Amino acid sequence: MRPDDADGAGGPRSAKEAEVRQRNSKDGEPAATEPEVEGATGTTTQQDGHFECNICLDTAKDAVVSRCGHLFCWPCLYQWLETRPNRQTCPVCKAGISKDNVIPLYGRGSTNQQDPREKLPPRPQGERPEPENHGPFHNFGIGDGGFQMSFGIGAFPFGFFASTFNIGNGQFGGHPPRPNVPQNAEEQFLSKVFLWVAVLFMFWLLMA
Amino acid sequence: MTATVQTKDKRVNQTKRKDAHSVSKRLQQELMTIMMSGSSEVSAFPDGDNIFKWIGTVKGPKGTVYEGLSYKLTLEFPADYPFSAPTIKFKTACFHPNVDEHGNICLDILKEKWSAVQSVHSMLVSIQSLLGEPNNDSPLNTLAAETWCNQPKFKELVHQFLKKSKDEST
Repeated sequence: MRPDDADGAGGPRSAKEAEVRQRNSKDGEPAATEPEVEGATGTTTQQDGHFECNICLDTAKDAVVSRCGHLFCWPCLYQWLETRPNRQTCPVCKAGISKDNVIPLYGRGSTNQQDPREKLPPRPQGERPEPENHGPFHNFGIGDGGFQMSFGIGAFPFGFFASTFNIGNGQFGGHPPRPNVPQNAEEQFLSKVFLWVAVLFMFWLLMA
Repeated sequence: MTATVQTKDKRVNQTKRKDAHSVSKRLQQELMTIMMSGSSEVSAFPDGDNIFKWIGTVKGPKGTVYEGLSYKLTLEFPADYPFSAPTIKFKTACFHPNVDEHGNICLDILKEKWSAVQSVHSMLVSIQSLLGEPNNDSPLNTLAAETWCNQPKFKELVHQFLKKSKDEST
């Protein structure tokens, strides 16, 4: 957050822009002033054309991007998918596509745009996966793991090590295993470290 | 109750008007692209004031029997373009396996394989390449499909067909 130019001027500027846009669409006239206004704010990239909707060929409004990486206005893509409910493919590359697996793009100042699509469902919400909240030490401790092995030489209980073995594979803490979470890799690494510590400790005990 | 119906009607009208506006906006964009591209092989321009009706020109591809010829086509855009394909027909009589006597074209990308990202330019380029590479398995003109393997004869028929239709029209 910079206190000077950008954030302070962003709000009123984009509000003005939205107002101009609304006025133009209300009159039903070609939005002749729009490129000018956008050019003045420097928010457009119409010259290089990288952010144009593939369907209406205009700068993407309420932009969504497909899993194959193609950019559309949500109203345009929605209408395309509506026209062919049986064969839902990306108009650009024919990859499989559906309403649920497109990702909305939120630019700065996009929240104050009034939604013009009363009849269309809003574009899908951005996914916000819950953070993985059981750390590597969650299963640490006697009696926490569901599978506890206790064997000993003499009277020494090895429950401590048994539970460390459980970390890698058996997540019995009430959470289903979630793949593709970076924490998973970290957990596995830690479990390997503990395994080796345990093996070395046992070896030392046997030698002693 | 009446009030809600009225607002609904109003909304529908608004959407319709907005649709027409966005369609003509897209067509204007395409016109600009096609004019800026400066391609001499294909060209297109609205037929009069109506932006929903265009006249296109396709040159016969080099190295084919159509070389040196130029074909005119009509393009009609539906109100829900680009979600539906435009109707493209040959205006100039065309002797081709996939074109019938009325100028209708059998091309998958204009029918079931239509995609909203197709543009006037890409369609005309596709039609141009169809001239040189017909699909003889599903012909609209069986005589043309049968003659295709005999290229000198085919060329003769192409020119005959063109001349005949010109004579008829005058």
